Amino acid sequence: MDLLEVENLSVSFYRPEGEIEAVKNVSFSLGEGEILAVMGETGCGKSVLCKSILKLLPDIAKIKTGHIIVRGEDIIGYSEKQMRKLRGSLFSMVFQNPMTALNPCMSVGEQIVEAVRLRQPGLSGRERQQRASELMYLVGLSHPEERAKQYPFQLSGGMAQRCVIAIALAAQPLVLFADEATTALDVTVQAQILDLFLELRKKTGMSIVLVTHNPGVAARTADRVALMKDGELTGIGDVEEIFEEIMHQQNFI
Amino acid sequence: MRKLCISKILYNMGKFALRVFALSVLVFLISRLAPGDPLYAYYGERVEKMSVADQEQARERLGLHEPLFTQYARWLQAAFHGDFGISYQYKTDVKEVIAARIGNTLVLGGLGFLLIFVFALGLGLFCAWREDRTADRIICRIGTVTSCVPEFWLSLLFLLVFAVWLDWLPGSGAYSVGEEGNVADRAAHLILPLAVVVLGHLWYYAFQVRNRLLEEVRADYVLLARMKGLSGRQVLFRHCLRGALPSYLSMMAVALPHILGGTYVVETVFSYPGIGTLAYESARYQDYNILMVVSLLTGTLVIFCNLLAGIVSGRIDPRMRIQNGAGGGEVRNF
Amino acid sequence: MKKRFPFFSLSVLTAIVVSCLACSAIMTKNPLYMDLAHCNEAPGKEFLFGTDAMGRDIFSMIWYGGRISLTIGFLATLFSTILAVFAGSVSGCAPARIDGVLMGMTELFLSVPGLLLTVFLQAVFVRTNVYSLSVVIGLTGWMSMAKVVRTEVMQLKNMDYVLAARCLGGGFFHVLIRHLAPNFFPSVLFMAVMNVRNAIVAEATLSFMGLGLPVEEVSWGSMLSLSENAFLSGSWWIILIPGAFLTGTLLCLTNLGNYMRGSANKRHSNLGRQGILKIKKR
Repeated sequence: MDLLEVENLSVSFYRPEGEIEAVKNVSFSLGEGEILAVMGETGCGKSVLCKSILKLLPDIAKIKTGHIIVRGEDIIGYSEKQMRKLRGSLFSMVFQNPMTALNPCMSVGEQIVEAVRLRQPGLSGRERQQRASELMYLVGLSHPEERAKQYPFQLSGGMAQRCVIAIALAAQPLVLFADEATTALDVTVQAQILDLFLELRKKTGMSIVLVTHNPGVAARTADRVALMKDGELTGIGDVEEIFEEIMHQQNFI
Repeated sequence: MRKLCISKILYNMGKFALRVFALSVLVFLISRLAPGDPLYAYYGERVEKMSVADQEQARERLGLHEPLFTQYARWLQAAFHGDFGISYQYKTDVKEVIAARIGNTLVLGGLGFLLIFVFALGLGLFCAWREDRTADRIICRIGTVTSCVPEFWLSLLFLLVFAVWLDWLPGSGAYSVGEEGNVADRAAHLILPLAVVVLGHLWYYAFQVRNRLLEEVRADYVLLARMKGLSGRQVLFRHCLRGALPSYLSMMAVALPHILGGTYVVETVFSYPGIGTLAYESARYQDYNILMVVSLLTGTLVIFCNLLAGIVSGRIDPRMRIQNGAGGGEVRNF
Repeated sequence: MKKRFPFFSLSVLTAIVVSCLACSAIMTKNPLYMDLAHCNEAPGKEFLFGTDAMGRDIFSMIWYGGRISLTIGFLATLFSTILAVFAGSVSGCAPARIDGVLMGMTELFLSVPGLLLTVFLQAVFVRTNVYSLSVVIGLTGWMSMAKVVRTEVMQLKNMDYVLAARCLGGGFFHVLIRHLAPNFFPSVLFMAVMNVRNAIVAEATLSFMGLGLPVEEVSWGSMLSLSENAFLSGSWWIILIPGAFLTGTLLCLTNLGNYMRGSANKRHSNLGRQGILKIKKR
């Protein structure tokens, strides 16, 4: 059985001007330890797809149809409270801009410790610090104790993104959604972060959904690729298959 | 680091002194430019009974013939010794007149400020939490209406309803005759003016808090915080409030003199013996010496609070604190 | 999220303004005539809103006095807006030192309590009339607007299109009028509407306290200055009716101003609870 199955998922935004269909009838599945890249142009609904699985969209967005099945259990009807539990343990997410994703008024240490505390409420203060340091070490941040005292604006983009990943890992998630997680970073840093993802998968065995509009990123990291266009899933398959298909289509044009 | 702090304190004190100095010049100039003979400020109606020669002599003695600058210097010198002149209306030292009333204003304004401080934050938080739902909409409506009612009319309305029609509460003065030391009696006299002061200002600040929080709620970090498993309310209280707090505190520092100044009108309507009533009476009877001191006092408070606001937001907000170089762990960036 | 146009506020405001301007057609009595035989008369057929302590007809005074209140509100705002836009744009464009001096002066004016400043300035004019009062209120109301204009100008002046206009040889006033003004117009408009509101409040408060227009000069504020008398005689209409008109006008102005400011929050809240539309659980 797959870890995560999405069936016929449709999401719409209900604006005063009318309904906007952001995700149309999307189905895919994700195995354990698999990296799936969701590829498509900007604004094609990749990000909405991820956020709708986690139910993190604003009030005006509604899931119209579909099922989200996690290890055989349909979570589509879950309440906010149930979703909160899932978010803290099963799913986690890394966002596009690490500078805005971290709270500018809290030191990164505090933010990581907060995530640890929510996941493991039994730990003492020192154990939490310890765990936070471990996490920071895991994502490749040196000098965790000193680093923890810093505020997000004191960090570079790459380091801030590592902190966000550390927060995401605090939950020990089974699935990590990386929503354009490398787009805002320099090219060399991008490569480092992607390597980090591969390494983390090896260490923790989690699955990763990598949302990107960069074919290079997808080709480098993913096991399978899903193509999206205008809210629809136009193709899904192994990396080689999909890229061959794309080349094929472009040759025709 | 220590040196830096001292120089900063000195800098701020210098800024404060400079502004107060400018304020005193302004106040002095206005009072001297105002029509009417400045002689009145010293002698009052007696001036009319003086002969022209006497008047000239008095002018000479008081230095009113000298250039404005010399007059100002003399006034300032006297002011430094605590001599602000004589109140023409009360025939006593200005200092005494003001000292007798400032306590009442501080009680009314201070209590009003505290209540506004607490309620504005609470109301703002509640409205931000329930954004665009029924409760928020209703509160916003009511708030807009209350913020539109002029304070003096609200005072009249309360007087009419609670003091005249229902006769629940006393409507004038700070205490009943002969009950000066009775705390309960004083509290009863305080309720109506306090209610007007709070209602008149509350929504303005609560609305600012609400809007500031709504900005915070739209930031990306909210999503990450929810990703950790925090509930909406927890995110609001633990994360968003933290971002909004520095600007709230500095806003309230600026608001302090504003609220104190707002009591002036209310005091007048309720005949509450405070600085406001005093200022109003002095204005009517052109008692410039008192008016000058009241303006100076209030203005100094405003300047002080503005400075305080800057310092407060600089200390609390980590972004400003560290960029200003006053602490925070420096780690080499690799 | 989108704000609805405040039709109701606008129509009420228009009705009040038009009625006040055309007061001679509406008034049933001479608002200045003191009918001493009918002092403190309750609202009735002859005197629709009753009479005040001096026997004047309140219904007629509302419209007649409203005209003066609104005129003062408008004139004072005109005055303070011109002052504020000028001071703000100069300060925003000028080199740091001039900017510092100008803003220091603005701060200084802000630090004198508005009421006291008004009272002081008021004393400069020997005989108070509508125009002098407008000038005084205008002089006390330009500071915060100037600060807003300055911030807007500061933000705008570094924009590339302003730079482009200057590169093409546009002078200071050209850039100000053609490029900067259209951009800070919405916020200035909002502040201006709020200034009308504040000026009306200031006039009413001053006149009410006997520091503005004299009792003989009818305005919404000076009508209320007879309230002490009204408490003694229990004539509530002297207090409630003019005040209600005053507050109503202020409320309409506020709603209008809030609409003009536009909605600041274009994004949606991240605290939202995205819902689902009736899907059966599998």
